[in-house]
Amino acid sequence: MTDAAPVAAAGRQRLTPRLVAIMLYARRSCFPPKRWLALLMPCVGALLFGLLARAIDLPRDRAFANVAAEGIFSLAMPITALIIGDSVLGAEVRAGTFHFTWLTPAPRWQIVVGRWITGSAVAMVTIAPASALAAVVAGSTRSAGAAYVASAVGSVAYIALFIAIGCITRRTAVWALTLVFLVERLLGEALTGIAQLSPTWESRAIFVGLIDNPPARLIRDGIPAGADAVVRLAVVAAAALALAVFRMKRMRLSGASD
Amino acid sequence: MTDHPLPPEAVHGTVPPDQFDPAFVADATVEARDVSVWFGPKVALSELSCSFGAGVSGLLGPNGAGKTTLMRAITGLTRVNEGSVLVEGRNPRTDRQVHHRMALVPEDEAVPPGLTARQFVRYIADLRQVADRSAPDAALGEVGLLDAADRRVDTFSKGMRQRTKIAAALVCDPRVLVLDEPLNGADPVQRAHLIALFRRLGAAGRTVIVSSHVLNEVERMAERVIVLVHGRLAAAGSHRAIRDAMDDTPRHVLVRCDDGRRLGSALVGLAAVTGLTFDPKRDGLVVQTLQARELAAALPRLARDASIRLHEVRPLDDSLESLFRELVR
Repeated sequence: MTDAAPVAAAGRQRLTPRLVAIMLYARRSCFPPKRWLALLMPCVGALLFGLLARAIDLPRDRAFANVAAEGIFSLAMPITALIIGDSVLGAEVRAGTFHFTWLTPAPRWQIVVGRWITGSAVAMVTIAPASALAAVVAGSTRSAGAAYVASAVGSVAYIALFIAIGCITRRTAVWALTLVFLVERLLGEALTGIAQLSPTWESRAIFVGLIDNPPARLIRDGIPAGADAVVRLAVVAAAALALAVFRMKRMRLSGASD
Repeated sequence: MTDHPLPPEAVHGTVPPDQFDPAFVADATVEARDVSVWFGPKVALSELSCSFGAGVSGLLGPNGAGKTTLMRAITGLTRVNEGSVLVEGRNPRTDRQVHHRMALVPEDEAVPPGLTARQFVRYIADLRQVADRSAPDAALGEVGLLDAADRRVDTFSKGMRQRTKIAAALVCDPRVLVLDEPLNGADPVQRAHLIALFRRLGAAGRTVIVSSHVLNEVERMAERVIVLVHGRLAAAGSHRAIRDAMDDTPRHVLVRCDDGRRLGSALVGLAAVTGLTFDPKRDGLVVQTLQARELAAALPRLARDASIRLHEVRPLDDSLESLFRELVR
């Protein structure tokens, strides 16, 4: 027993915080190589939109602003966020591996927030730099910072929304696409109230607020722009995360074969 | 039940009305009361009441009997439509503190991709705030996976995945361990090892609930057995009582030989034989018996003595499903 005591003492070390453990797990397990490849595609799409801006007969900054608004913030960014948001929760629920996490005493908010932080970090190194790079490719280097910020903030809000959807339904992709294209794009175009809560419209507004002399057609009355839009998306993300935590109590977790 | 005299506060401070019901135990750690679970029109569990205490309990039943649903209800994964499930007096669905003391090994083969066995078990240990950093390796060693600890779990065979999940469950030294078909995919050596492990845990006072559809497996692990059929409690008690109940059910055995007429005459004289018909479709004798073991012992001797060559002896209804059906008739 005298020999065992130091061994036992050496075995007892500082606990890894649950939140950190969840983040590390999500990074390792939720993003296998195939998913990184899937993430690469919308990022390449963003770069292609940058190239497309070069073909538009407008000053470089204006051309990129138009293409970024319609292509990057309305298409590439939501799709990337959908892949990420689904990867960190919905895909695991469908695969039948989420219950390994659920069946622990880890607080639900840590499960949700840990995965959201990991997903947001992935967005910071994928679609956000791709959006900035697209500005450089388009010859609008001055817009790169704005594109990065707008894309990052929009993605972070979207990932929170898609995590919440993953807690509500197993068909995350279907409902997420419905939200983005039917609710945000179609209804948001007509109804300012929806646009005010839409990551697509708000990320456009952040971008427009951060660049010099934006095209008039991109300035939309009635929705916050610039820093106000960042705050608005932070509220949207917080509400989505709260919904996800609430819904996680009622999740129906079945096996992969069910 | 005479082995377990009930204390006054047998189940959560109250004496259960059904204290002599073999479906219930004294000092229950897990208790299901009138539990019904349905998925749309499909009823998975119907007014099921039983309890589990220290030691190994087997959940036995054919496929679709509701074993997995009951285990999911016990661990809180599945919401109970009616009735209640309590683990150490707490609702596992709403009280996350229960998961400090309980672990599930699901039947699903799914494991998190991209993680090594050590990383996976450590993840579970971190979420359960296991202070001992050597606990993951100890748990992996317990299931004989220490050598493969740095291999990715998603590259493992079915048996190795199962053992990894058992290690993840053991890492927090749970008081209640729920294992859904834990021996699936394990080779005979691993089976023996795991059975010994479960028995050891049960002897150490843990509540170990093991499901299987193989009676012999459950017999080797558990002294007490709960039999489910069609989501209902079919039988409960020691495995000997269950085995005896099964032995008392009429069985049909097909016997094909080179002289059916002579063998039939000889069989009629056996006490174990309760009926005899010739089945032209199967080209053999169908022997009905209430004592299958005795018949199995007597038949070869009878054939040898009469110089009859046996071609085939096959039980026609010896699947567990048919036996379970008999139990609930």
